[in-house]
Amino acid sequence: MLLDCTNVVTEAANAQPSAHPRLLDRQLVTRCLAQDALAERALYDAHVDRVYRLMYRMAGDADLAADFTQETFIRAFERLEQFRGDSSLATWLHTIAVSIALNGMRKVNRIQGRTEMIDNMPSLAAEAFRFTGDLKARLHAAIDALSEKLRPVFVMHDVEGYTHEEIAGSLGIPVGTSKARLFDARAKLRIALAAFAGDHVT
Amino acid sequence: MNDDRIDELLARGARDYNQPGPVPRDEMWARIQASRQSLRAASAARTSRPILIWTSVGIAAAVILSVGITIGRRVERGVPTATAPVAANPVASPRRDSASTRSTVRPATIVATNRDSLIRQLREQTKTTDRRARELAAAPDQTGGPPATNLAYHLVVLQHLAGSEAMITAFRTSAHRGEMDADLATWSRELLSTTRMLESSAATQDPTMKRLLEDLDLVIAQIVQYTTHGTNNSEDLDLIEQSITARGVIGKLRGTVSARNPAAGT
Repeated sequence: MLLDCTNVVTEAANAQPSAHPRLLDRQLVTRCLAQDALAERALYDAHVDRVYRLMYRMAGDADLAADFTQETFIRAFERLEQFRGDSSLATWLHTIAVSIALNGMRKVNRIQGRTEMIDNMPSLAAEAFRFTGDLKARLHAAIDALSEKLRPVFVMHDVEGYTHEEIAGSLGIPVGTSKARLFDARAKLRIALAAFAGDHVT
Repeated sequence: MNDDRIDELLARGARDYNQPGPVPRDEMWARIQASRQSLRAASAARTSRPILIWTSVGIAAAVILSVGITIGRRVERGVPTATAPVAANPVASPRRDSASTRSTVRPATIVATNRDSLIRQLREQTKTTDRRARELAAAPDQTGGPPATNLAYHLVVLQHLAGSEAMITAFRTSAHRGEMDADLATWSRELLSTTRMLESSAATQDPTMKRLLEDLDLVIAQIVQYTTHGTNNSEDLDLIEQSITARGVIGKLRGTVSARNPAAGT
C-alpha cells in the first residue's frame, strides 16, 4: 500500500502531460479522497507551477497570484469528489483557477474604482501611451485594458502557451469562441501598437 | 510599420507580460493546509451546534421561501401570466437572422412592463427582503450577536437566495421566449447590489455561503449587463447559460434553501 502510494506520488510529481494523464489523475484523486496526505501534496506539486504562473500573468501581482492559487487548491480539495474525470484534472483545476482569478480581479478593480472593464481599449490605451515612449509598456497596458472576455484567452494562449482546447475547457466556452476571442484580442492589440508605431516610426 | 513587424512585436512583448517570479510552493502549501484545517474545524463546530436555531429559521422561512420557490417554478414551467408583454421597440431590438443564431435560445426583445406582470409582482416581493438584507449586512458582525438578530440575518439571506432563484428562472424563461421584461433589469440590479453587500459583510462567514454568493454575483452581473444594455446577443445569452450551468447555481440555490430550510419542501 505504501509502495503503491509512493509510486503514484512519484509519478504524479514528475508527471508529463503525455504519460497517461487521466490514469494518474484518477489514481491521485482516489488517494486524495481517502485522505492520503502524500497524494494531496503530489497533486499540488504536479499542478501548482502552471496554476501560479497563470494567476500571476492574470493578476500581475505576487500576493494576489499566491492568494488565487491557494484558493484554487483549497476549493479543489474541498470539491474533489465532484471531479468526474470528464476532463483532465489540469483542466478542472484551471476552471476553478480562472473563475477565482476573474472574480478576484473584479473585486480588486471594484475596490480600485475601476468598475468597468474596458472594451474601447484602443482609445484608452492610446491615452495611456501618450505619456510613455516604451513600446513594451504600451503593449502590456493594452493587454491590461482588454475586456474580461478577451484578456484570459490572450494571456492563456499567447503568453502562457495553452491550446485552444485547454482554454475552452478552462473557460467553459466552445473552441471556436476561444479562437474568435483570440482573434479579437490580437486585433485590438495590433491597433494599439500600430497607433504607437505610427507616432514613432517612419 | 507593417503587419508582420507588429505581430512580431506583439509575440515578443507578450512573453514578458506580468512575468512571474519563483513559485512560493511551500509557503502556499502551508497556508492551504492551515486554511483547510480551520475550514474543517468550522465545519465540525457547525454540525455540533444545536439544530434548534436552524429548525427555527426553517420554520420561519418556510412560508416566505415556499412562496418564492413555487412562483419561481411556475415561471419556469411557463404558467401563463395575467398579461402578455408588449414589444416596446421591435425596430430598435431586431431579432437575429437564422444564420447568425448559434443556439436554440432566441435573442430577446426588451418589452415594456405591464403593471400586473408576474415579474413585477415577484420583484415587489423581494424588495422588502433586499432592503432588510442590506440593513443587516451593513451592520456589524451579526453572527456573534444575540440569537434573534442572528436568526433574522439567516432568514433574510435565505429569502434573498430564494428571490435570486426566482429572478434567474424568470430571466431564463423570458430569454427562451425571446422576450425580456423591462422590469428584469431593475430587479437584477437590486439583487446584485444585495448580493454584493452580503458578500462583503462580516456576517457572512460561512465559506460555502460566500462561494455561493460569489457565483451568484457573477451570474447576476451578467444578467444585469444583458438586460440593461439589451444587446440581443445570443453569444452573451450562451455565456450566461454556461455560467449558470457550469457553476450549478440553480442547484446550489435550491440545495442551500432546502438544506437550511427543511420545512420548505419542494
